[in-house]
Amino acid sequence: MKERYEEITTIVVLLIPLSFVVWGGYLQQVTGYLYLFLLQGYVAWFLLFRSGQFFFGYSVTMAMGAYGTIVLTEIYKWPLLASIMVGCGMATLISVGIFFGTCRARGFYVGMTSFLLALLFPLVVEGTRDISGGRSGIYFTGTDSMIKPDVLYLLIVLFTALIVAGLFAFMRTKTGNILTLISENDELTQNVGINTMKYKALAYAVAGFLSGLGGALYVMYNGFISSIDVEAFTTLYIYFIPLLGGRRISYGPLIGALIVILGPELLLSIERYLRIIMGMVFIVVIVFLPEGLGPGMETLLKKIISRFRAVPATVWKS
Amino acid sequence: MISSGLINGLIMGGVLSLPVLGVAVVYGITGVPNFAIGLIGVFGGFTTWYFLSTGLITAILLGIAVCFPIGFFLQRVLLTPLGRKKSADATLFFLITCSFGFIVEGGIRSLFPRATINIALPRLGAIHIGNVSADGFKFVALFVAVGTLIAIRILEQHTQAGRSLQATSQNLKLATLMGINTDLVFSLAHGVGCSLAAVGAIFWGSLYTLDMGTGWHLGFVGFIIAVIGGIGNIWGGLISALLMGMVMSFAGYLLGGVWQSVILYGIVILVLIVSPRGIMGSERAL
Amino acid sequence: MAEPILKVTNLIAAYGPIIVIKGIDFDAFEGEIVGIVGPNGAGKTTFLEALVGNIEVREGEIHFLNKRIDGLPVMKRRKMGMMLMPQENYIFPYMPVKRNLQVAGFLNTDEEKKELLEFVYRLFPVLAEREKQIANTLSGGERKMLSVGMSIMANAKVILIDEPSIGLAPKIVTALFENLKTIKEETGKTLILAEQNVKILNIADRIFGLEAGEIRFCEKTEDLDEAVVKELYMGE
Repeated sequence: MKERYEEITTIVVLLIPLSFVVWGGYLQQVTGYLYLFLLQGYVAWFLLFRSGQFFFGYSVTMAMGAYGTIVLTEIYKWPLLASIMVGCGMATLISVGIFFGTCRARGFYVGMTSFLLALLFPLVVEGTRDISGGRSGIYFTGTDSMIKPDVLYLLIVLFTALIVAGLFAFMRTKTGNILTLISENDELTQNVGINTMKYKALAYAVAGFLSGLGGALYVMYNGFISSIDVEAFTTLYIYFIPLLGGRRISYGPLIGALIVILGPELLLSIERYLRIIMGMVFIVVIVFLPEGLGPGMETLLKKIISRFRAVPATVWKS
Repeated sequence: MISSGLINGLIMGGVLSLPVLGVAVVYGITGVPNFAIGLIGVFGGFTTWYFLSTGLITAILLGIAVCFPIGFFLQRVLLTPLGRKKSADATLFFLITCSFGFIVEGGIRSLFPRATINIALPRLGAIHIGNVSADGFKFVALFVAVGTLIAIRILEQHTQAGRSLQATSQNLKLATLMGINTDLVFSLAHGVGCSLAAVGAIFWGSLYTLDMGTGWHLGFVGFIIAVIGGIGNIWGGLISALLMGMVMSFAGYLLGGVWQSVILYGIVILVLIVSPRGIMGSERAL
Repeated sequence: MAEPILKVTNLIAAYGPIIVIKGIDFDAFEGEIVGIVGPNGAGKTTFLEALVGNIEVREGEIHFLNKRIDGLPVMKRRKMGMMLMPQENYIFPYMPVKRNLQVAGFLNTDEEKKELLEFVYRLFPVLAEREKQIANTLSGGERKMLSVGMSIMANAKVILIDEPSIGLAPKIVTALFENLKTIKEETGKTLILAEQNVKILNIADRIFGLEAGEIRFCEKTEDLDEAVVKELYMGE
């Protein structure tokens, strides 16, 4: 029951920025970017922490969605929706391909293979710079005439909230429950007679598709993409979003995204030391708050509330 | 073309093998995939560059020496205590060391006046083998790599310290029960590994340029080559560095610059899928 | 009467919240073989791990060579002369046999290492034959011999061995136990063996019976009633 309330509250909070369109400007712009990475963060939360699958290729699936959309629309003049679908399809194929390619391996090897793909991908983008633009990138003018920036922003916020709500609902289904079993004990789940390969492949497919969709939205919002946007560090930042915020709570990625995406924005004046600060924050959370900041904050809040409750009435009177 | 590809490949492999040795030593002994090691080496390279005016040997020794305590204390303060936790696994160490890499990167940016450098070391002129001519310095890199490897092997086989190192990497609990100070062994190995990475970075910075991207690249490439050669298998690391150098050299001829790295990463992804213990076998499992 | 070389008083040890050793009194004298017998889950391994310092002791005292050691780390206890040969992972798998033995003799002088190696090779000639062979290619019995050889090379005053006979054929167990008796007789070392195999009764001087973390009995082997041992393993 507590979890249900938590999920509903999370969705409600996610919808609040719809109102930012009233003010527009910098707040709206930054919130849009936050949501684009928040979506990726929830995908990582779903695939790793809810389904127990070590996948570090989020920057690749995001890039496939982005590049599929922009290249097909800008260069080959496809309709936008078709380009997005193809981009998402390619992202899905990549993630499922990685799953089947590494299904004999265990643990770290699986993560490493996908991370190496994340390292490889920007190099492929640079090697195919005639099409992809390489480091110089490609500008996306496709949406200018079709969708107004405000409408695009609203779509991004709405899509993110819907996708997150969808993931919450999905984890409550029979399939979602099986994924939870797999994340806790894959071998035992197999021994019980469940075809875990089928469910894991599905998890990868869902994650790949959603990540690709996030990539398509990214390129539409940003209006530009280059190999720098999809470097391997993007995957690391995406991975840190649920890790920092709290892997077992529904609002964990939200807290994580605020730190990982907004943090650098707020620290722009000391950009020189940004990497040091972010590195230290990551290490501190991993070592001292392995469950993430969210549970830590919850515990602190509970302590403060119980302190207030424990104060005798006479103290208040005096 | 084949012979020039082979020779150029050997030379490239020789240059690559120095940072690989650092990774192989750390990874093979401690079992920690430290992706920050390339950046720590680059920090040493930047230190050498900064102090070049004080004298060449002093600057090089300073650059190498400054990396030892970084690796030593990283292991001692962060990685060893973390390794004792039940929840610690290779993924956790990967995240921790990448985060440490961010700190080192930030440190380089804040401490040094430039973000990209070239270390002006004395040149030996060009050396000609057949119709291939290459900077003599590149041959020096290859000899230093092979020499270091031989030295490590001699130490391992014939000294107490070397045996302690081997024992710790093969069976940590038993080594502790035998009375070996395994915490110290790990810290020393990490310090030595980072110093080796500094040697690699100094060579790299002299032959090409050094920047943050190089640091990450050397760390990842070092890891890749160590995996192909078999984790903990130091000879395997050198041989795979030379093989990879040749692959990259031919890929460069046939497909052009950026595809060298694509082929390299592609091969190691295949190796990880087909043979997770590497081509030459591993003394340690991930 | 001589002082025990190892004395344990009211030892309580736990894994997190689970108390496994519930107040054990134990002692061992120089030059004797002490057997700790008990069924699975009795706490034999945990007791040995607590003695060498691998797990936390909640309460109680451990005295070795008249010095209190329960606060000391593994390495210090090893240097004082106590070592444990664990039940699993008891060799360095990718090193040759001779190197395994040399590493085990880490704390000795070169002279001591040479003498001990000769003794090990005399006791286990098969190790001498296979000294260049990589350890994990040995058979199960040979690996156990190597581990016992390593414990000799360690030259500890007190050697703790966790289930030396596990996974071995009966004939090999008999031979191994005879070798352990020879070690005791020729070197005067104290051997503490945690065992499920009742053949331990053939070589041990004293037996402690452990069940559910508590000592059920402590007897000299010649005084031990078979029925008591049977009850420990099979219940009433």
